[in-house]
Amino acid sequence: MPQTGVTRRRFLKDGVLMPLALALAGGSISALFLRSADARGFYLRPPGAVEEGRFLGACIKCGKCAQACPYNSIRMAGADAGIGIGTPHIIARQEPCRLCPDIPCAKVCPSGALDAKLENVEKIRMGTAVIVDRENCLSLRGLRCEVCYRQCPLIDKAITIEARHNPRTGVHSIMEPVVHRDKCVGCGICENACVRDKPVIVVMKSPPLQKDYYEF
Amino acid sequence: MELSRRDFLKASAAAAAFAAAGAPLMLTGEVDAAEAGIKWGKAPCRFCGTGCGVLVGVKDNKIVATKGDPAAPVNRGLNCIKGYFLSKILYGKDRLTKPLIRKGNKMVEASWDEAMTLIAGKFKESIDKYGPDSVAIYGSGQWTVFEGYAASKLFKGGIGTNNIEPNARLCMASAVTGFMTTFASDEPMGCYDDLDLGDTYFLWGANMAECHPVLFSRLIDNRLKNPKVKIIDFGTRHTRTSQMADKYIKFNPQTDLALLNAIAHVIVKEKLYDETFIKNHVVFKKGKTNIGYGLEDKFKFTDDPKPMTFDEYKEFLKEYTPEYVAKLSGVPAATIVEMAHLYADKSRKVNSLWTMGFNQHTRGTWVNNLAYNVHLLTGKICKPGENPMSLTGQPSACGTAREVGTFTHRLPADMVVTNPDHRAKAEKIWGIPAGKVPAKPTYNATEMFRALDRGDIKVVWTQVTNPFQSLPNLNRYRKGARKGDGRFVIVSDMYPTKSTEVADVILPSASWVEKEGVFGNAERRTQQWFKQVDPPGEARNDLWQTIELAKRLGHGNLFPYKYVEKEIWEEYRKFNEGEGKDLAPYEAYTKARGLRWPVINGKETLYRYAEGYDPYVKAGEGIKFYKNKKDGGKAVIWARPYEPAPEVPDKAYPFWLCTGRVLEHWHTGTMTGRVPELKRAYPAAVCEMNPEDAKKLGIKHLQKVKISSRRGTIILPVDLNGRGKAEKGNVFVAFFDENKLINELCIDAYCPISGEPDYKKCAVKVEKA
Amino acid sequence: MNFKWWPIRRFVQLSAVVLIASPLMGLNIFRGNLAGGELFGFSLIDPLAFLQATVASRIFVAPFLGAALVVAAFYFLLGGRTFCAWVCPVGLITELNDRLRRSLATGERRLPLSASRWSLVVVIVVSFLAGVPLFEIISPIGMTTRALMFRDWLTLLMLVSICAVEVAIARRVWCRSLCPLGGFYSLLGRFSPLRIHFSEQLCTHCGECTRICPHEEVLLPSLDHDCSHIYSGDCTRCCDCIDICPTKALSVHVIYK
Repeated sequence: MPQTGVTRRRFLKDGVLMPLALALAGGSISALFLRSADARGFYLRPPGAVEEGRFLGACIKCGKCAQACPYNSIRMAGADAGIGIGTPHIIARQEPCRLCPDIPCAKVCPSGALDAKLENVEKIRMGTAVIVDRENCLSLRGLRCEVCYRQCPLIDKAITIEARHNPRTGVHSIMEPVVHRDKCVGCGICENACVRDKPVIVVMKSPPLQKDYYEF
Repeated sequence: MELSRRDFLKASAAAAAFAAAGAPLMLTGEVDAAEAGIKWGKAPCRFCGTGCGVLVGVKDNKIVATKGDPAAPVNRGLNCIKGYFLSKILYGKDRLTKPLIRKGNKMVEASWDEAMTLIAGKFKESIDKYGPDSVAIYGSGQWTVFEGYAASKLFKGGIGTNNIEPNARLCMASAVTGFMTTFASDEPMGCYDDLDLGDTYFLWGANMAECHPVLFSRLIDNRLKNPKVKIIDFGTRHTRTSQMADKYIKFNPQTDLALLNAIAHVIVKEKLYDETFIKNHVVFKKGKTNIGYGLEDKFKFTDDPKPMTFDEYKEFLKEYTPEYVAKLSGVPAATIVEMAHLYADKSRKVNSLWTMGFNQHTRGTWVNNLAYNVHLLTGKICKPGENPMSLTGQPSACGTAREVGTFTHRLPADMVVTNPDHRAKAEKIWGIPAGKVPAKPTYNATEMFRALDRGDIKVVWTQVTNPFQSLPNLNRYRKGARKGDGRFVIVSDMYPTKSTEVADVILPSASWVEKEGVFGNAERRTQQWFKQVDPPGEARNDLWQTIELAKRLGHGNLFPYKYVEKEIWEEYRKFNEGEGKDLAPYEAYTKARGLRWPVINGKETLYRYAEGYDPYVKAGEGIKFYKNKKDGGKAVIWARPYEPAPEVPDKAYPFWLCTGRVLEHWHTGTMTGRVPELKRAYPAAVCEMNPEDAKKLGIKHLQKVKISSRRGTIILPVDLNGRGKAEKGNVFVAFFDENKLINELCIDAYCPISGEPDYKKCAVKVEKA
Repeated sequence: MNFKWWPIRRFVQLSAVVLIASPLMGLNIFRGNLAGGELFGFSLIDPLAFLQATVASRIFVAPFLGAALVVAAFYFLLGGRTFCAWVCPVGLITELNDRLRRSLATGERRLPLSASRWSLVVVIVVSFLAGVPLFEIISPIGMTTRALMFRDWLTLLMLVSICAVEVAIARRVWCRSLCPLGGFYSLLGRFSPLRIHFSEQLCTHCGECTRICPHEEVLLPSLDHDCSHIYSGDCTRCCDCIDICPTKALSVHVIYK
């Protein structure tokens, strides 16, 4: 029987509640997933992570790796990661990977997103550190910093110091920290330790390995 | 069942709003410090003995910036990261701003009048009841010259006690006694220019890369420019210095004594010494042996120097064959010989550099002597680019503690209280009655805090230092301070520290450029700065505090100054005039980026004892150690034997424990620990351990271990692959972490001659935690 | 004594939540969440998560399959969608939320139960084609459990919006018709030996069971055609119908055929 007027309940149900509910649902999905591509930049994955594409496929977001990390370095990505929501990653500037020798995070991954068979921390390839702001690197300006070098867990392997003459003062040396792509595991301790406000050395996606035949 | 179009639109709008709400808030870019309106003034860096110059930028009575001073010859605008963050060290959140008096377990705010009345009352009471030696002041190599001078004048000249000691007793005392016994005058003959001009550098137990960063940079540049340059690092631990050295030679702890004698042995045996130099400039002496370790309270030692002939000295060296010393030290005999040849190489300008490895040593004086021996045998001394250089740790251990003489046995300008002429001179300059300055030294720093523990000293005032984190065998002294029964501890500092924790009164102090000051660095460069900002709250500078106490104790007449700092300077200068330690008038320092003394007619001295550089050396004299009048202007080669450390690793405690510093933090970390960037760079102490040792104990990298000595125990994560790589049988822990008081494990054994404790050697065991 | 299932079921539901949160209390009993977890060191994997991850990444890990088979076998034996009513926290929350809907008398719309199986197909196909585990990305189960484990509450928006839609528009729409995991378990439940038994003789046709059941369609074959058991895979074995039946016409049976 058709209604003659709109009862308050009817109004509540159809006029307000439903659109509100739809709005909430639609808004949630947008807020959670519709992010600019910019936000879904390089994510520093835990040790033993397979290539990012396959990682996003294999990770079931169970959170066991994050729970296994004794330093709470691994965090689950939030909405800004888009389809990577809930995947584990490390924000080096806040808490870098400390390279536990027994790699407890990779060990507990059930799906192969992290290689549970990884045993040697030096074989980890989470990323590669790069000095991205040479003008603000204190070491490159001749000051005695090199904190990234001294704190690097693979000191003298992943980062070495190359000293050169400081032409400005004429009597001091510039001690440049140099990152070696083939040894850097991408733990981010350097990025975390950098004493500038914004770190001048950051972990970035590793460039692909390549070789030629020169003997030097 | 279907959504109407209206509903859909409503939903979409809401969805869009939600998405926007979830987007990260865009922050505007950081506001750059406005360049305009910043006033710049010069000052030396607050931290190490290098004495880099900085420019301090002030705006609205706050330091807004600092930068290296390009006009400063020491560093030419460079700093290490501690210096880089100087603008932040005064602004930690918990800066002390009001005097605090202990009431039960709480520290209650008080006015300055209340606090000073209480303090003066305690001083009076104790002096009346127990005599002037029941009160003491413990100062610092980070005191300004004025602060040290005022304290010394008040205590020695006013109260009439020699109970004044600086924390420099814990860092440079062995260097001082080394200088005094070898040259009869404190402080190096060379300067930093030697780092540019030499070609051979022996570093002994010094992590220069981290502890004298800007100087090390200079040394490395020398090598970059000159391929002949060789840097040899003798050490018990592989450091960043070792990494950049041309050769790292590890030796068993304490065997530096034997190694230096072995090098001398080779030089003598192969006749590589400079016969003429020895004839003209050297005498030989020997002292007592088996001289003890200062482990017992009230330990006293007086040496008994006896002259030796060169032949007797050669006889003494006979036992230190490279083969014997190789067994003792772990350094191959061939290497010892090679190093001896390098030292004696006539084509090389050889320098030796050392800091705490030599000084914080139960035979610290001896090992300093032995380092000089090699230079004296070969005549490689007092020449540009060729000198032994004792590197100083603190910014003014030289300028204040050593030059002003804020030690129990000292007076300014190398003078000692035991010498009646020296006392008379002090009394004259200070305008006090004859006989006022006491003739007997009382306690070195360790003994002072032992006396507090026993109750022989009742009242102790510490300024600009943190003994209740930095003393060895720390537990005893922390407990001693809180034993009550008339004991009263006053701590003047800028932040709450492990020392303010045990204080009865805490006085908030001004720091660095919140007061006018003078520091003297490792190369005899005296540097002045003006006050550039006001201290926070009611904090006042230590100089004012000391003079205030003086007034309340009836010794205000000792400080009749209007422009206190300048007048103190002019009065203090009088001690140094004509003594080979001359200081210029105050104005000269306000203008210059420091001057190296002796400064005669405005001209500084680069090389002491050397003709053409040192105005005290007459034409034709060449080199003259003119301060050693007793030995006719000659230096002394001392026959000092190898003697073992008092506590060596054994079955129960199988590891050597060494302690030290890191580049990021200064000393007990009270200032650098409050700079967020430095704290983040190196947040907490770790235990460096050798990977093979760790493997044997089943310990993995980063695992927590329990380290114990006979005196204390501590839990730390272990570092098997860090910036310092411990040798087998050794562990190393830095002492900057106030949550990890490693000094509780250290042994309070000291060099009987210098009184300096050995922070580098004691026995510990390591277990999984 | 009148035995009721719902206290036991509520206890199990809450235990699941507590287990997931237990690492926060410093306990070492459980790690992970319902997609992948470890109970006393034993690996337990959501079989649908295994399927998605393996087809998406083309990485095969044998223990991963083994743990998924253990869980699949477990739920197969216990009824299939038993997970939904006894373990899943989204089930718990939406179930409680449904009481609100009842009191407001709103959200009467329904979507068919079969939709959840289409959901399952879409999830598997898209996971294969796109190389991402589609359901694990959007799963409110995952988001809720991770919010609990890591105290990261923003993603609870998803759960809140599901609740809002279920109150305002379509009751229990997520569990009934959209959840692919429910769709997966419904396939197991179709053949599970554990079933609800219906006794036609005791039934008074009061209709209380259909009113309480979230998937009331599963009861209709029995009520209309005197079917002795609930054969539908969508039955979650919640036993609310058993609890509410005044004449004890419904009970739990194990079938050995």
